[in-house]
Amino acid sequence: MPEALYLSAAVLLSLVGMAWLALSMDVHWAQFKQIPLAESHPPKVILKALGYTALFVSLVVCLVADRPSIAALVWIMLMVGSAVAVAFVLAKKPGLARIFWPFQV
Amino acid sequence: MTWVHTWFGLVLGFVLMVCFFFGSLSVFDREIDRWAIPETRFDAQPMPSFDKVLLPALQQLEPDEVDYATNMPRLHDPAKGEMTPRTELPVDEYWAYVTHRDPVLAAGVGYGVPLAKNPEDHNHIHKNVTLDPRTGAVLPDDKLKIGSDWFYPMHYSLQLKWKNLGIWIVGLAALMMLAALVTGVIMHRKVFREFFTFRPWKRTQRASLDLHNLTGVVALPFHFFFAFTGLVIFASFYFLPVTSTILDPLHKQHEIHEAASTGLPHDAAGMPGAMGSVDAMVDEAKRRWAARDMAGEVGFLVMHHVGDANSYVSIYRAGSDRVALVGEGIHFKTSTGEVLSEDPPRTPVSEVNEFLTGLHLQHFEHWFLRWLYVLGGLLGAVCIATGFIFFVEKRKSQHAKSGSNGSRVVDSLAVTTVTGMVMAALGMLVVNRILPADMLGKADWEKAAFWTVWALSFVHAYVRSAPVAQGLFNPAWREQCWGVVVLSISAVLLNWATTGDHLVKTIFTDTYWPVAGVDLSLLACAIVSAWAALKLARRERGVSVSQKKTEKQPDSEAGGVAHA
Repeated sequence: MPEALYLSAAVLLSLVGMAWLALSMDVHWAQFKQIPLAESHPPKVILKALGYTALFVSLVVCLVADRPSIAALVWIMLMVGSAVAVAFVLAKKPGLARIFWPFQV
Repeated sequence: MTWVHTWFGLVLGFVLMVCFFFGSLSVFDREIDRWAIPETRFDAQPMPSFDKVLLPALQQLEPDEVDYATNMPRLHDPAKGEMTPRTELPVDEYWAYVTHRDPVLAAGVGYGVPLAKNPEDHNHIHKNVTLDPRTGAVLPDDKLKIGSDWFYPMHYSLQLKWKNLGIWIVGLAALMMLAALVTGVIMHRKVFREFFTFRPWKRTQRASLDLHNLTGVVALPFHFFFAFTGLVIFASFYFLPVTSTILDPLHKQHEIHEAASTGLPHDAAGMPGAMGSVDAMVDEAKRRWAARDMAGEVGFLVMHHVGDANSYVSIYRAGSDRVALVGEGIHFKTSTGEVLSEDPPRTPVSEVNEFLTGLHLQHFEHWFLRWLYVLGGLLGAVCIATGFIFFVEKRKSQHAKSGSNGSRVVDSLAVTTVTGMVMAALGMLVVNRILPADMLGKADWEKAAFWTVWALSFVHAYVRSAPVAQGLFNPAWREQCWGVVVLSISAVLLNWATTGDHLVKTIFTDTYWPVAGVDLSLLACAIVSAWAALKLARRERGVSVSQKKTEKQPDSEAGGVAHA
């Protein structure tokens, strides 16, 4: 059971991390905020720092849950799945990205 | 770069599509076996007692008639005397293999060949069986294990067995896939800038290229490692078959030296020997693994030189807790149970090799990671399928003007290898449930159903592809999506009707996840296909919902502007 909890946490961290990295890009910030690209000014440094940190913590959680060889594979594949999920959210329901960034900034 | 990526990707993409799709199914091959052979639907079992269950079962077996008829004349030297009758061949080897996902046990006997042409060779006539590990009963072997004996070999050999042609084609495709990945990244250029980019509201050509790039780039580590490790697994086959050809004498000499250094007898002594308790040896092996902090289930057990004074038992650990394959072998003298040798720690090269092969073959017990593998495989399939669509969309208008049939042919082949292949696999499952369990030659009918459905899907795709030659969509995509829906739902209903195993039972009242998982996957497949068919119908009518959104909704405009 603790392993399932750790893996759930790793999934969430990976998803949130990828979302923050995506939102740090002008084009996706514009998609998310429904604004023209020229007016897109995301808080890049904060979002990138948060994104990379979340992915790193996700790796740590994977390592707690499983042996290193398995954990590394889970982490990489989680990032793959998360990136695709984020791309689909931004394409289909950009408003949903508010879950990852509920702030007005 | 573009030329290499486009043309090699197109030609070998059809092969890679088969590899990715059936590779994804192979992640759950044993579960598909349980679905296809209802009498094996019981829980996975650890290696049973050798002394009480396996040995009595193995002692009842006789050499396989076909193997004897095929190989005995080749191995036996008539100049030395008469050929030993099949039922009088001496037992030389017992083996048993089980995984954490197998309710049934693979086991077998190797029978020695007296008066062999080359006595130093590994001269064996075999009998391989599937056992019920709870009782030792031999299960009928005439039923096709659709997962592990059809879908899985399809993944790496395309079921083309003539001169191992399929394995060579898949190897070439894997090699070219590595080249396609490199050329694709170079061509794409905006790998990081467009990392999350997918614009389904754009026209089909642009949207399919976005999805091709997304699934190719995001899953690049998966694609690269699986193409690469696939080649590593078959490396000795593709690149270094010299050990069994020109270096064969050296190879045999090395075997003898290795036997001398480990203390494991290479040859039989020619004197009878007793058989101690193998179960006691298994207990000792588990104790030694536990002392090394390793999970202690037995994966593979083999007894060499049965009945001889030099007989020994090798016991290998099931590597279900790590990526590397079975190993940490411990070898016992059969007569006394004394430990003859333990496999030494692996060398760095061997460690890397076992990690890479284990990464691909995934014998580990980690359900979540297995599903992530399925996701990776399906993303690979999407990447290739969208590559086909992009190819056709880019050219079909030009071809329509010039009167060329190129787009039409490629589109028909794409339909055949995307929806047609899914229909072939589903058709096989449906036929498996329709035909009686005890029908003679049932396996052949199932295989015939697979090829027939696939061939018919091509005929259908080509016959319906006339609109492509006019620059329009091929309605076969939509129609075959509906075919997938019908076959998926039929398979689930037929499983219920013929076995009584409906989803309420397999999930809630009498939980059995292997069958429930297959049924749920079939339903998920039906839902996705129905959704795709409806979407395609809208596009065909020229009233794409996403296009409407682009025209009407200001929020999509923002996305459009942002990507302009």
